Amino acid sequence: MTDPTQGISEREAIEQAKQGNEAAFEVLYHLHKRRVYSLCLRMVSNPVQAEDLAQEAFLQLFRKIGTFRGESAFSTWLHRMTVNVVLMQLRKKGLLVVSLEETLEGEDEAPKKEFGTKDLKLTGSIDRLQLQRAIDRLPPGYRTVFVLHDVEGFEHNEIAQMVGCSVGNSKSQLHKARLKLREYLKFMRAEKAKTG
Amino acid sequence: MTCSDVERVLPELLDGAPDGALPEEVKAHVKSCPACSDLVSDLKLIASEARQLAASEEPAPRVWVRIAAQLRAEGLISDPVTGDPEPAPSRPVFVPVPERTSSGRRWSAWWLAPVAAAVLAAGSYVVTHKPVPQVATQQTPATLGKAAVTATATPSPVPVPAPQQLTRKSAKPAFSKSATAVKSAVEPAPSEEDQQFLSAVSTLAPSMRTTYEIQLQAVNADIRETQAYVDRNPGDMDARQHLMDAYQQKALLYQIALDRIQ
Repeated sequence: MTDPTQGISEREAIEQAKQGNEAAFEVLYHLHKRRVYSLCLRMVSNPVQAEDLAQEAFLQLFRKIGTFRGESAFSTWLHRMTVNVVLMQLRKKGLLVVSLEETLEGEDEAPKKEFGTKDLKLTGSIDRLQLQRAIDRLPPGYRTVFVLHDVEGFEHNEIAQMVGCSVGNSKSQLHKARLKLREYLKFMRAEKAKTG
Repeated sequence: MTCSDVERVLPELLDGAPDGALPEEVKAHVKSCPACSDLVSDLKLIASEARQLAASEEPAPRVWVRIAAQLRAEGLISDPVTGDPEPAPSRPVFVPVPERTSSGRRWSAWWLAPVAAAVLAAGSYVVTHKPVPQVATQQTPATLGKAAVTATATPSPVPVPAPQQLTRKSAKPAFSKSATAVKSAVEPAPSEEDQQFLSAVSTLAPSMRTTYEIQLQAVNADIRETQAYVDRNPGDMDARQHLMDAYQQKALLYQIALDRIQ
């Protein structure tokens, strides 16, 4: 099977997709599928849901592609749309801002500084699978901000706008998420050291 | 300077604050305190490694298959079987060759146009009848059919307050744990319009019945879920926009059927 992304630029694909060309849609899909699916997967930690959300994000994109005028990068437009699709899903499930609000009220204590093995430092690099598992363990509110900022590269003001919280809250959630991840990762390393 | 003092400025320390912006005593403490030094380097490591996760996963091939099928069902891409030419640029929605009766005449489904308009008008009303700024009429997708556009332009029967009456901040919903107890709505009986719609599709284009039925169920479920959320959070403008999109999607479904079987 030939790679449908060969021989056509993103700009050409966008223009042809506006005319209803299936191959152009497919080009755009293949150009962005990994980023979109990975974003969905990180935010919901469920491959089946992530597939559904990625599908919905691309469908929304393709339905509205006629309105794309190129003022912003196509990828930026798509990623924003993907985030909105995922956040809407999390809102409907009551999983998004609940955590943020609760934390503000102090119901969710900040992570404890030590998690079993205080002498184990995360030197060198972090195993990607372990990091992925640690992110999956984060509460949805922490996870959302961490993924949007540290994985996807959104700024705090953008996150605040998308999620519906203050910039300060976004910063606070991010910091707590990183602290929690450190705990989880240290714990995983300790467990691995014990069994290995 | 204590470890707690350092922890207070840690977010700035990690997120690109220039070294000059940090007090000298903070930097000195981090250098001299192994615990704080480890903490800073660990958190920096986590943040940098996280970037590697972007675009790290490949979706299953079935995702594109489903997207393509959906686009085809919605008439947004050409049908590879018929191989018909691309649609006119003014309306980039593919309309396949309609089925014909044994007498060769096209089926008439003129009544679907006002039904599509009514669906969208109902959606506009439902989305805008709560006291928040109206957002729906500004973002009609280019692909929306003529009837739907007409419906969007129809004035809402309920007066909409001026945007300044409610700020986004004040309208923000108070989320609570009870929001997690959202029950998925039980599939209700199809509305009279939906029954007429499916009945017409069954008669005029029987091969399309299942496709349209599935699409209708999906969009109705999305409308129900989003409506339930909007009812609980009437100030959430994103949710209102999503609800309007869902109604537009339903109107588009009717419009596509109109194009196909009329």
